Amino acid sequence: MEKTQPILSASDVHRAFGGVKAVDGATFTALRGRVTGLIGPNGAGKSTLMGIVAGAIPADAGHIEFDGADITGLPPHQIARRGLIRTFQLSAEFSKLTVLENLLVAAPAQKGESLLGAELGRLYWGRDEDALVARAREVLDRFAMSPKENELAGNLSGGQKRLLEIMRALMARPKLLLLDEPFAGVNPTLAREIEQYLLDLRDEGLSMIMVEHELGVVERLCDPVVVMAQGKVIGEGSMREVTARQEVLDAYLIG
Amino acid sequence: MSDATQFYLSTLLIYLFIDIMGVLGLNLQFGVAGIINFAYIVFVAVGAYTAAVLSLGPDYPDNFQHYVFGASLPFPLPIIAAGATSGLLSLVVGVISLRRLRSDYQAMVMLVLSLIATLVASNATWLVNGPAGLATVPPPLFDQLGLAQLDYQWVYAAWAGVLTVLTYLFVRGITRSPLGRTLRAMRDNDRAAAALGKGITALRLMVFVIGGVIAGVSGAVFVEFIGAWSPGSWLYPETFVFLAAILVGGVANNWGVMVGTLLVPVGFLEATRFLPPILYPGFVEAMQWVCVGLLILLFLWFRPQGLFPEQPGRFAPRPQASTRTPP
Repeated sequence: MEKTQPILSASDVHRAFGGVKAVDGATFTALRGRVTGLIGPNGAGKSTLMGIVAGAIPADAGHIEFDGADITGLPPHQIARRGLIRTFQLSAEFSKLTVLENLLVAAPAQKGESLLGAELGRLYWGRDEDALVARAREVLDRFAMSPKENELAGNLSGGQKRLLEIMRALMARPKLLLLDEPFAGVNPTLAREIEQYLLDLRDEGLSMIMVEHELGVVERLCDPVVVMAQGKVIGEGSMREVTARQEVLDAYLIG
Repeated sequence: MSDATQFYLSTLLIYLFIDIMGVLGLNLQFGVAGIINFAYIVFVAVGAYTAAVLSLGPDYPDNFQHYVFGASLPFPLPIIAAGATSGLLSLVVGVISLRRLRSDYQAMVMLVLSLIATLVASNATWLVNGPAGLATVPPPLFDQLGLAQLDYQWVYAAWAGVLTVLTYLFVRGITRSPLGRTLRAMRDNDRAAAALGKGITALRLMVFVIGGVIAGVSGAVFVEFIGAWSPGSWLYPETFVFLAAILVGGVANNWGVMVGTLLVPVGFLEATRFLPPILYPGFVEAMQWVCVGLLILLFLWFRPQGLFPEQPGRFAPRPQASTRTPP
């Protein structure tokens, strides 16, 4: 019952850059406990729409509702604090922090993160910190990244950086995870690993939205799938349903 | 040790402490939080002027210098007021420039601010006496302590040392904590930090104001020692001397930048002072600026992490649970 409730709904979202209507009246919903795929040809407006949902790009018009509340127009950090965590299309690691530190940063509401808390010193925030380190190490173990714990994030390979971003997002305890092309620039072996991790997370009930080009992955991971073209949502449903529709095929073939 | 040597050494020590304070504040802004503040010296200057006018006593018509807000507040109130004024100015400047602009534009705004501030202080003579600047700022507690000049200098060096240690402890409190980690994350990728729930604008403003307060206090301690302050003392290249100290010592490394301070503003600039006057008067001074610029370029090119690179967070090793042998 609860699983079919929408966790996010975007209604009639518009955004133009100069004269280009990047998102032109997009409407879609993402369901709780599901991986919603967002597909479409290059320039369809997928990333812009994700930017709007995450608060990084202001919408010209439209509404975004997340977890029962209107989040339209909120700044990115406030949306993140509500539990909507995104990853980026391009690697966005904190390059001069270690892998472990990257994970620790993501933990919400840390005791030593306020000025007063920081100055009170380790006696005040040490216990909180130790618990976070333990949790971060569990995440590292799960993703088989423990050997890289003390490596500077900037020294990781492209694929490992994608993995780091997913781990970091999980440390933030997301209610909804927004993945913007998590397989971009990842070698096939690691891509299969990441896919398996995402499948596991899905089976544990984590809600996700995934922007992806590789339709095979989308078919295995996502249900429902939202198809965008030229700033509009042109199809919504299971992969089988949307790929059966002529306008979807047209959009992919003609662009 | 002769009195002259002692005078020189104590003066140098006081300069070192004051510069370390300033560099620690700028390192927090630039090295840790990634705010490019090319106007840092302005906040030092505002602190110095504030402490000066609050120590000089009320202005009067026949005075050889003119200024606003003249008062003779007892020590250490002028220093506290200096920190507060610079902090307040940082807040105003920060709210205007740090919220919407991208960081490269922020840097430009700061550079322009530094130039404007010098022009205003030089031309609005009613404000802080124009290009001639303020002089005869009384040394704090000189009469009350009743010490000989040399002994007073050593006491002053100790006082500057105490303030430096306090500044260091305060800054370390931030850099060693989860807050410092969040600031470094913001420096490395502010969009990603925001996407993890970090309030970037608030964090930047906070660091900008803290750095401003430290700058103001360092300026106050300087002016109360040297007794004079004028626009020539805080031209915009002074900020680059601090930046050079940070880049040489090691960005975001508190001990590194302190060594950098010892090497650049104190060691390097002081050593070249002993060069014989060559070519024409002012040549050596001009070459100092050239050398500071070259030093920055060389380090950015060959060793951008500085002499002492940033130290990532260290954590206790994992508890060894699975390696126990069965009985």
